[in-house]
Amino acid sequence: MPVKKGSSGISRRDFLKGMGTTILSTAVVTGGGLVPDSATAALLDDTVETISGRVKISLRVNHKVYSVAVEPRTTLLEVLRERLGLTGAKPACNRGECGACTVLVDNQPMLACSLLAVDVRDADIITVEGLSTDDTLTAVQKAFVEKDGLMCGFCTPGFVVAATALLQKNPNPSLSEIKQGLSGNLCRCAAYPKIFEAVQQAARTMQRGK
Amino acid sequence: MFPFEYINVRELTALPDYLEKDGEKSAILAGGTDLLGLMKEGLLKPRKVVNIKQIRELRGIRDTRKGLEIGAATRLSEIEQHPIIQQQYPVLAQAVASIATPQLRNMGTIGGNLCQRPRCWYFRGQEYHCLKKGGDMCYAVDGLNKYHAILGGGPCYIVHPSDAAPALIALGATVEIFGPQGKRTVPLEEFFQLPEDNLLRENILAPNEVVTRIFVPRPEAETRSLYLKFRERQSMDFAITSVAALVQLRNGKVQKARLVLGGVAPIPWRAREAEKILEGNSLSADRIQQAAEAALKEADPLDQNAYKVILARNLIRKAFTQLQNA
Amino acid sequence: MAKWKSLNEMKILSSYYPRLDAPLKVQGKARYIYDISLPGMLYGAILTSPYPSAKIIRIDDSRVRKHPGVRAVLTDVHPTGRIRYAGEEVAAVAATSPEALQEALELFQVEYEVLPFVVDLEAAMDEKAPRVFSDRPNVRKPREREEGDIEKGFAEADVVVEREFRTQVQVHVPLEPHGSVVTWEGDQLIIYDSTQAVHGVREGVAKALDIPVSRVRVICEHMGGGFGSKLWAGRYTAIAARLSRQAGAPVKLMLTRKQDFLGAGNRPNSVQKIKMGARKDGTLVAFYAETYGTAGIATNANVRLPFIYQVPNWKHIHRDVFINAGGGRPFRAPGCPQASFSMEQMMDELAEKLGMDPLEFRLKNDPNTTRQKEWRIGAEKIGWSRRRKAPGSDPGPVKRGLGMAASIWWPGGRGTKASMTIYPDGSVEVRCGTQDIGTGTRTLVASVAAEELGIDMRWIRPLIGDSNYPYSGASGGSTTAPSVGPAIKNTAEKARAALLERVARNLGLAPEKLTWQAGSIRITGSQSQQLSWKEICQHLENEPLEVHGEWVKGLSSAGVAGCQFVEVAVDTETGQIQVEKVVAVADCGLVLNRLTTENQINGGILQGISYALLEERYMDPTTGTMVNPNYESYKILGAMETPEIEIILYDEPERGVIGIGEPPTIPTAAAIANAVYHAIGVRLRELPMTPDRVLNALYQEKKV
Repeated sequence: MPVKKGSSGISRRDFLKGMGTTILSTAVVTGGGLVPDSATAALLDDTVETISGRVKISLRVNHKVYSVAVEPRTTLLEVLRERLGLTGAKPACNRGECGACTVLVDNQPMLACSLLAVDVRDADIITVEGLSTDDTLTAVQKAFVEKDGLMCGFCTPGFVVAATALLQKNPNPSLSEIKQGLSGNLCRCAAYPKIFEAVQQAARTMQRGK
Repeated sequence: MFPFEYINVRELTALPDYLEKDGEKSAILAGGTDLLGLMKEGLLKPRKVVNIKQIRELRGIRDTRKGLEIGAATRLSEIEQHPIIQQQYPVLAQAVASIATPQLRNMGTIGGNLCQRPRCWYFRGQEYHCLKKGGDMCYAVDGLNKYHAILGGGPCYIVHPSDAAPALIALGATVEIFGPQGKRTVPLEEFFQLPEDNLLRENILAPNEVVTRIFVPRPEAETRSLYLKFRERQSMDFAITSVAALVQLRNGKVQKARLVLGGVAPIPWRAREAEKILEGNSLSADRIQQAAEAALKEADPLDQNAYKVILARNLIRKAFTQLQNA
Repeated sequence: MAKWKSLNEMKILSSYYPRLDAPLKVQGKARYIYDISLPGMLYGAILTSPYPSAKIIRIDDSRVRKHPGVRAVLTDVHPTGRIRYAGEEVAAVAATSPEALQEALELFQVEYEVLPFVVDLEAAMDEKAPRVFSDRPNVRKPREREEGDIEKGFAEADVVVEREFRTQVQVHVPLEPHGSVVTWEGDQLIIYDSTQAVHGVREGVAKALDIPVSRVRVICEHMGGGFGSKLWAGRYTAIAARLSRQAGAPVKLMLTRKQDFLGAGNRPNSVQKIKMGARKDGTLVAFYAETYGTAGIATNANVRLPFIYQVPNWKHIHRDVFINAGGGRPFRAPGCPQASFSMEQMMDELAEKLGMDPLEFRLKNDPNTTRQKEWRIGAEKIGWSRRRKAPGSDPGPVKRGLGMAASIWWPGGRGTKASMTIYPDGSVEVRCGTQDIGTGTRTLVASVAAEELGIDMRWIRPLIGDSNYPYSGASGGSTTAPSVGPAIKNTAEKARAALLERVARNLGLAPEKLTWQAGSIRITGSQSQQLSWKEICQHLENEPLEVHGEWVKGLSSAGVAGCQFVEVAVDTETGQIQVEKVVAVADCGLVLNRLTTENQINGGILQGISYALLEERYMDPTTGTMVNPNYESYKILGAMETPEIEIILYDEPERGVIGIGEPPTIPTAAAIANAVYHAIGVRLRELPMTPDRVLNALYQEKKV
C-alpha cells in the first residue's frame, strides 16, 4: 500500500494556472529533500551514493509522497503500475518508441519506461491520473472526450499528457506545431485527426479561461 | 534488465574511481534513453550503472566570447530551445530539434547523443552475434542493408545515428574528455572511429572515460549553416541521410565550407574534397553539383542501399542551394 | 419487417455524440487487460524459439525451478516440439515479480536440433527449398475461380496490359499486446483477455484445456486494439490457465512487443501477375491473374481479385505458400488492400492506353449504382477536373498528383442476442456479449436502447465484454454494428411493449388506450394523462422487468461501396511521398454515431497510408528471424504523416446499419499509387512505396 506522507502543491498550482482549471490547493509544503530510508543505500560521502539490491525510496507522484521498495533496475513505469496502482501510463513498447507511458517529470513530458525509479527521486512526477486533482476533467481531457480524440484508448493517457505539456509550453499552437508536439506518441487506431481537433479545442478553451 | 549497482556520483573528480576499465562492467547513465534500451534487450549487462547527471559541471550551456561550452549531460531540449543557439548556431539547433521525439529530447543528453550505439538492426537484435558484438560476421553484407553504410563501411556497415554530431563537426566543435589521466580535448571529428580501426566501439572514449564538455567556436561573421535530415517517417526516425552544411560567404565567394553527412557512414562523414571545391568560389549551381558529386565519389553501396548515394547528392545540393538563397 | 425510425424522428442516433467511456480513458482510469491486478497474482511469460525451424530435443528447467520467485513452470506448451517459426512457444513460467520472471526466463536450457528454414516467399516455391511441413509441399493446391471464357475475352480486347505487383507482410501490432489475466475459482476459469471475441475465446480455451465451455468465463471490459489479430483464443491464454492451475494463483501473461510482432498475426504478402484487356470503347472484356502469397505457417493469403469491376471473362488462380514465419490472421479487410493495389493500377494503366480519363473508365466498368454516385461526389470534392493530363508534368523537384480507388465490403449483421433489465427507479441495464475494440460499441448499445425507449442515455448502463452476457459474435468483418444495433433495438422494443402492458394491467386499462410517446406513455380516454419514464417504471413496483431480444432482419444490410481520392506530393530528390489530402466518400447506410464513424474512417485511411508508405516486416535471410520487431524500425504512421482528410458520409438510412470499419482501409494504398504515377510518371508496383523504391524507380526511368 502506498503511504501518503505529505504532499507538495506549489509547483502543481503554478503548473495549472496556465490551464484555465480551478483546483483546490490543500497542500502544505513539507520540506523539499527526500532521503531514502533504505538499509542498503549508502551515502559514502557527499559526493557518491550507491544503491544495490532492494531499497526503499520516496517518490513524489501526483502530489503525494510514496515510500516504495525498488531495485536500481526498476523503472518508473513499473513503480507506477505495479506498486502504486497507477496504470494510466501504459507499457506498449517498453523501449521509448511509442509514447504510451508519457508522464510529466518536473513538468517535462518524459517516458516512464526509460527512466529508472532511483533516478527520479527528487522529481515531481505527474501521471495522467494526477492532471486533475478532483473528479473533473482538465480542458485537454474534456476536449479529447468531446472531439472523440481516441478509439481503443490504450495510447490516450500518453497523448493527453503530451498534449497537456505541449499547451503549457505553447498555448496557441498551429496544426503543424501540434503534430510536432505529438510526434512522439503512436496511435495504431490512428485517431490523429480527432486528436488534433481536441488539442485545438483545448487551446481555445484555455485561452478563454485566462 | 539484470540487477546492477546504481552509483550516483556528484563530483567529477570521483568519477574515474567508479568506472571500470572493462567496458562490459560499468556503464554511464545520463539520459538513459539508449542505455536502458541496450540493457532491456540484454545487449549490455553492466554490474555498475554510474549516474553522472548530478555532476554540476556537466550541465548547462555557457555562451562565452569564444563560443559555446555545453556540458555533456545537458538535455537536448535545452539546446534545441536555447535562443542563442537558435540564432547563431542554426545547424546545431536544427539538428537537435530533429532528434527522436519531444519526450526523448527532454531525457536525452548531448553527450549521450554523441556516444550512442548504432541502430543497426543486427546490432540491436539478440539473435545476431555480429562483428560489433565480437562475432565473426556482418549480417548486413548478405542480409538486409537498406539503411546501412555507403561510405567508410567494412568490415562492419553500421551508420552513425547521431544528428548532433554532423552539426557540431561542421561547426568545428571539440570535446573534452575526462578520465583517470585527467582531461584531454580532441576535435569532435577525431573522436569517432571507423570499424576498421575499432570494431567494438564507435569512438576513442575508453570505458573509464567520460565526455564532459563540448566546445563550439563562435561562427565567423557572414556564416550560414543548416541541417537537412531525411527520414522515412517524420514522426520519430533516425536519419536515412542527413547533411550538416556551413558556408562563410563574403562578397559572393565561399571563404569557408563545411559539409558533414549523417546516416551514411559508421562515423559522421566529413566531405573534405567537396568543401575544397566550394571554397574560394561562388556558390553556383555547377560548383554545388561538383561538390555533391565529389562527396559521394567514394561511395561503395551494398546491394540495397545505392539509393542513398542519389539521396545524399540531392540533399547536399539542396542544402547549399538553400544556403545560397538564405 | 423491423424498421428504424426516420432520421428526423431520431434524437440521438445519427448525430454526433461522445463515447460514454471516454472520460475514463482520458483520465487513465479505464482498466485494460494489461492493467488488471488480482490479489496474489503472478507474472507469466513464454519462452520462445530463436530459431525458425528446429526440433526441441530437451528442455531443462531445473535451474528455473530453483529460482526462489518461480511458482509454476511448463515445458510442454508446444504441441509437437517441432518449431516452425522464430517466436514460437517453447516453455512458460510464472513468478512472483516481473524481475523474478525476467531472471527465470534466462535459466531455461533448451537443446534444439536446428533445421533448414525458408523465410522468403519465392525461395519457398523452389522445389528444393526446405519444407515447412514435412508431409506436404510448401506450395499449396491452387484455388481457381473463373467466369466466362478468357481466351475469347482477350481475343475481343483492343488493348491489353500485363503487369506484376507485390505487396508486403503487414503486422497488426495493436498498442496493447495480446495477453490474458486468468484465475481459477474452484473449477471455474475466469479469463480477462484482450480480445475481439469474448465468446470465441471462451470456446477456444475450453477446447484447448478440454473443459466444458460452461466452466469458462471471459471478460474484456477495455482492450487496446486488435484489427483482426485478436479474433480467437491465443495459445498464451491456455498457457496462462495452466500456469495458474499449477501455481494455485492468478497469472497475468502479456506477450512482449517482440512476441506480438513475431507470432500474433499479420497480413500476408502477395505477388500478383495480372493481365487485363479492354475494348476501344473502354469496356473491360478479360482478366487473368495468377497470384501467390504467404501467411507464414498458416493459410489464406488469398487476394480478392478481380475486385470490384465487372469483367465478363475472368480467371484467377491463387496459391498459398508456406514459409517459416508467424501465421497470418485476418487483418482489416483481408485480401482487399492487396487486390485494390493491383487492380486499381491496372485500371489506370488501361485507361491511359485507351486515352480515357480514369474516372470515366471506372464509371463505365463499375456495376455498383451507389458507387456510381460516390465516384462523382469524390471527384467533385478533390477537384478532379483540375487534374493535369500529362503525368509528371509539374515543374520543379516536388511534383503533385491525383489518384483514386474504390472501397468494397460484404458482411452485414448476424445473430446477436441481448437482454435488458428495467428497474422500478427507471434505471436500465442492457447486456450483450459483444465487446468494444475501440469502435464505440459500448456507446452504441446505450444509444440504441435510449433512442428506442425515448429516454436520456444517462438512464442506461450498457454491459458488454463478458461471456456471461447473451451471445454475440466476434468484433470482426465490420459486423459488430449491424449485428449489435438491431439486437439492442429489438430488445428495447420488447421492453417497451412489456412496460406498456404492465402499466395497462396495473391501471386496469385496455392496452390500446396507451401509446408510447418519446419516453412517456400517453393514456387516452377518461383517465387521460401522460406518464413520465419514472412514473412508468414505478409501475414495476418491486419486480424489475427483464426482457430478451435478438438480431432481426430489416435493420441492417450487407454490401458496402465507397471510394477515395488522394492528392500526393512526391519529392523527386528524396523519394519522399507526402499524402497531402484524402477525400473519402464513405458508404455508411444508417449512421449510428457520426463522431465515432468519422473517427473510424480516418483510422482506416491512415492505416492505409501507413501500409502504402511505411510498414514492412523484414526477414533476415541468414537467420530466418524478423529484424524489425519493434516500433522503431517497423514504422507505423504517426502524427506528422497525418494529412488533411475530408470525409463525406454517404447516408442511405433506408438500408439500415452497415459495417464501416474495413472498407476505408482498402483503397488508400491504391489511390496513392495512382496519384504517385500521376505526379512523377513512374509506376510503383511494390508496397510499401518507400523512398528507396521511389528513387530506384526514378533512376531506372532516368528521371533522377
